[in-house]
Amino acid sequence: MYTPLRIEPTRALLDIATFQRKLAAGIGHLRSMREPEYANTPRELVYSEDKLKVWHFTGHDKTSSKTPLLIVYALVNTVWMTDLQPDRSMVRNLLAQGEDVYLIDWGYPDFADRWLTLDDYINGYLDRCVDVVRQRHGLDAINLLGICQGGAFSLCYTALHPDKVRNLITMVTPVDFHTPGNMLSHWCRNMDVDLFVDTLGNVPAGLMNYVYLTLKPVRLNQQKYIGMVDILDSPAELEDFLRMERWIFDSPDQAGEAFRQFIKDFYQGNKLVKGTLTIGGKPVALGMVTQPVLNIFAEQDHLVPPDASRALAEHVGTGDYTQLAFKGGHIGIYVSGRAQREVPPAIHQWLRARA
Amino acid sequence: MADQVTDFLKNDFIRDYQALARQSWETWAKQLQQPATNDFFKSPTPPTASSSSDALERTLAGLKGYFDWMQGVAAAGGQDPAGDWRQQLQQYFGGASQPFAQAFGGIDSAGAEGFIRQWQSWLQGAQHGGFGDLPGANGAIPAFGLNREQQMQQQTMAAAVLESLQASARYQALIQRANTQGMERLQDKLALHAEPGRQIDSLKALYDLWVDAAEEAYAEIALSDEFREVYGEMVNSQMRVRHLQQRQTEQICQQLGVPTRAEVSSLGERLQSLRREFRAGHAPSPQDLAGEIATLRQELAELKRQLADGKESAPAATKRAAAEPAAPQSAARAAVSPAKKAAAKAIVKAARKPAARKVTASSPSRSKPVNRASSRKRK
Repeated sequence: MYTPLRIEPTRALLDIATFQRKLAAGIGHLRSMREPEYANTPRELVYSEDKLKVWHFTGHDKTSSKTPLLIVYALVNTVWMTDLQPDRSMVRNLLAQGEDVYLIDWGYPDFADRWLTLDDYINGYLDRCVDVVRQRHGLDAINLLGICQGGAFSLCYTALHPDKVRNLITMVTPVDFHTPGNMLSHWCRNMDVDLFVDTLGNVPAGLMNYVYLTLKPVRLNQQKYIGMVDILDSPAELEDFLRMERWIFDSPDQAGEAFRQFIKDFYQGNKLVKGTLTIGGKPVALGMVTQPVLNIFAEQDHLVPPDASRALAEHVGTGDYTQLAFKGGHIGIYVSGRAQREVPPAIHQWLRARA
Repeated sequence: MADQVTDFLKNDFIRDYQALARQSWETWAKQLQQPATNDFFKSPTPPTASSSSDALERTLAGLKGYFDWMQGVAAAGGQDPAGDWRQQLQQYFGGASQPFAQAFGGIDSAGAEGFIRQWQSWLQGAQHGGFGDLPGANGAIPAFGLNREQQMQQQTMAAAVLESLQASARYQALIQRANTQGMERLQDKLALHAEPGRQIDSLKALYDLWVDAAEEAYAEIALSDEFREVYGEMVNSQMRVRHLQQRQTEQICQQLGVPTRAEVSSLGERLQSLRREFRAGHAPSPQDLAGEIATLRQELAELKRQLADGKESAPAATKRAAAEPAAPQSAARAAVSPAKKAAAKAIVKAARKPAARKVTASSPSRSKPVNRASSRKRK
């Protein structure tokens, strides 16, 4: 019987020395790095209201789609994950496929936005954004691509404004918030969200990030940075790493009222699948979504467990439902090499079949 | 001779090397924390939360934990082949440098609003600041006299702080349990490596295996009903303390004539409510739509009438139709079709009007629709 540990003292010292040498050599690289830019695919501003902006991506001659696609992102983090860097850009790949792409940048809420409700976001902001795109193209209905919480918003919107949505795509979208393994949902079940929002007003981004880090505390707070030491001597890899760090922590505060409603109705009440949700006093049921739906989820998603997304199949009203399981995580579905190859073409083909 | 070399490695050399390594670590950390001339470390772009000092704090906390742990393992020396490796493992991952605590210690920082530290220091400050036995800290006592209300508030606050600290302690106990169970899982994982060729021979490999074990154990506990209850209580009790702090601050501000957050918030609520009412007032009502539909129907009837009149007063067309009896229906369709299309277009155009108004009538919130033509011009 052997001991499983065979770390010689000299080897241990060598490991420490190597670690330190990499750190020392990496200082220069780290200090010389500029704030990494996102992909910044050419775009034009087509609408703005309060802090939100609607961008239309330009500079692509290959648009073959007759119906534009509006990306609806979550209120947490920023939409630039979809256009992170030139070789990791869902937006660019959608454009390359021939889609005409718009997206909503919700902006950074401050205390003036403290009282924005889900009704304001969904029946207000989102509806007006959709109207702008419809009007620009002279169309009654457009295609929506809702991401994460933005997917939940898009489902609600489609149920409430069915005439304005032609096809709906949901990506890593939580639908059933009470599936086993949903750590975020589990944690906030006993939270007094009224006290929470009454106290904090808007929910600070730093606090949200803290919660996300504690989902995998050692991996996200330590192991990741130890891994960074290995790439300190590679400017390109380091830049990618820092760009991702920028995206992760460059996140907006959450408007208090909308947060309160989302936690109460979605995370705690699970009303979307129970069929008891109301937005702006109007009932919202998934059965009201009769448009073609493509539901894409990530099999290794630690924020939105796959089962939470899969549940859409059981509740949605459409007879044209397609599901796509992606081998990756919540972030990898936008930025991994596999994602670039698989996701935009799948979206485009699905839309083309329903053009 | 060999024993002497081993002793030297285990004692003097390792001690000296550790001192050197620590010194160089501190130098490195200091260098990194110095203000740089580079934009990345100097000025984060407002209003984003991505401050470089935050990133640095996180990075350093994580790396420091790992560095300390490596030092600790090196100090523990090599394995005795005949010794108990499980005991050795406890040595590696126990003590102050154990990386699990470091991982959590690093995130209880500015990002987490420093909840625990903040209140611990508040409590200490209150005790040092002449409160003596903080009212209520040892249980509620009746309050009376001119300062009755203040005494009651102090008692409530002290009780809330204690409750919060207790909840945090319960949370920390669960984190510690996750750590312990992580160690057990690590032993199980290591047991699978007890054969030549599969042994763990580097600190990094051991660390990575430990991370897997620690995360698995943590996830299991974090998904337990007990954790859910403790977590909820920790958050709620922290919010109660903060809420009480805010109330006290607001009272002081009111006395000084300083506008308070509650007042600003109240104004914000009213403003948002007015914005909704304004929008609702400008949205077309069902009655408006009914009127518009009636108008459209009248226009359609008028168009049909005009079309019929036009046919009657178009003798050439009628003659052609009469001269070509074989295709009267298709000719009629061809003649009618453009008119029908025009009517249909008029209907669609008119029907779109309300939507168009809805898009542009958003002045109260500074909405700025940008039309396609102007966008193209900019390009």
